Amino acid sequence: MMEKIGLWFEERMGWRPIWTALALRNIPKVNWFYTLGSATLLVMINQILTGILLTIYYVPSPQDAYSSVSFITNEITAGWLIRGLHHWGASAMVVLAGLHMIRVVVHGAYKFPREVTWFTGLGLLAVTMAFGFTGYLLPWDQKAYWATTVGTRMLEVVPVIGPWLLRFARGGEELSAVTLTRFYGMHIWVLPAALLLLVGIHMFLVVRIGISAPPKAAESESEEPDVEVEA
Amino acid sequence: MAKMSRRTFLSRVTTTMVGGIGALMGIPTVAYLVSPAKARGGLGVDAIPLGPAAKVPVGEPTLFKAAIERKTGWVTQTEELAFYIFTEDGRNFTAMSNVCTHLGCRVRWVDGDEQFFCPCHAAVFNKNGTVASGPPPRALDQYEISVEDEQLFIVGKVEA
Repeated sequence: MMEKIGLWFEERMGWRPIWTALALRNIPKVNWFYTLGSATLLVMINQILTGILLTIYYVPSPQDAYSSVSFITNEITAGWLIRGLHHWGASAMVVLAGLHMIRVVVHGAYKFPREVTWFTGLGLLAVTMAFGFTGYLLPWDQKAYWATTVGTRMLEVVPVIGPWLLRFARGGEELSAVTLTRFYGMHIWVLPAALLLLVGIHMFLVVRIGISAPPKAAESESEEPDVEVEA
Repeated sequence: MAKMSRRTFLSRVTTTMVGGIGALMGIPTVAYLVSPAKARGGLGVDAIPLGPAAKVPVGEPTLFKAAIERKTGWVTQTEELAFYIFTEDGRNFTAMSNVCTHLGCRVRWVDGDEQFFCPCHAAVFNKNGTVASGPPPRALDQYEISVEDEQLFIVGKVEA
């Protein structure tokens, strides 16, 4: 039955080669550390879904932010779960991205021909951190307020343009409703757009170039190297 | 049972796990989204004071307005409610909602015609709230009313 339905779509859409290229592609023999990228991707999907759900009730204004978050946590069914997944997922994503990065460094997987994958990965790390920073303010509680006060204040030490950067980040001299809405706008529109773009390139390259094999401790003459290099 | 290939086994395990995670996430998601739909509109307060019973003329529905504090979500706001109070004998009172039972516009009592008119879709209700003409599916909703020390109080909704 399912096969027939699949075939019906296959005849009209021809998606099978794409599925084969994405999911059934050949990869080198690897180990569990190679799942860290996929794990980060899974947490990213979790962040997108739970984040969308949170916007159903959250209101980014000084009057409403804290009360709407507490409404989600205490009064909406499973609200504590959705918010909890988003909250802990944020930390998990930073940790997993970091571990993924360590694996890539240790294996030297950032080298030719995968430099662009590495660059987009660095971009993704920056975007992930920016997500964490902007999202931290949104509950508008004491911790959020002072963490953002301190975090934005750091921008001031940048030479020459520091004071301007501070006002740009805060949308004024002090933290205010303007800060909250711009952080919210960044968090739900600007950063997700950047994230999806970079993830798209990153994933395309992973599929297009293929992933690197774990480096071997001692290169013996008999074994075939992964990349032919003429001396 | 035929021997299953490693590939088939892993693919089934993966599908099952994805399905499991989907259900684990999907059920709370639905609960989260439908959660506010549980709130059914009651009065929200014990009693709404309307004022002296003597202000209701015999035989003519009279509009009384009252403001109540109602909490929706995390916002408490003042909501203005209006009731048509009607009495035939000055002792027994009925309270009718001024909300048209068709699609919720506010009906208005017109003295000359002795009827309620809805401005939206030409609904007409009789003096006692029953439908005279137009699209409404039922008579105007009624409230329980009590008189204490010559003062009128709305104390609840009359369930149809």
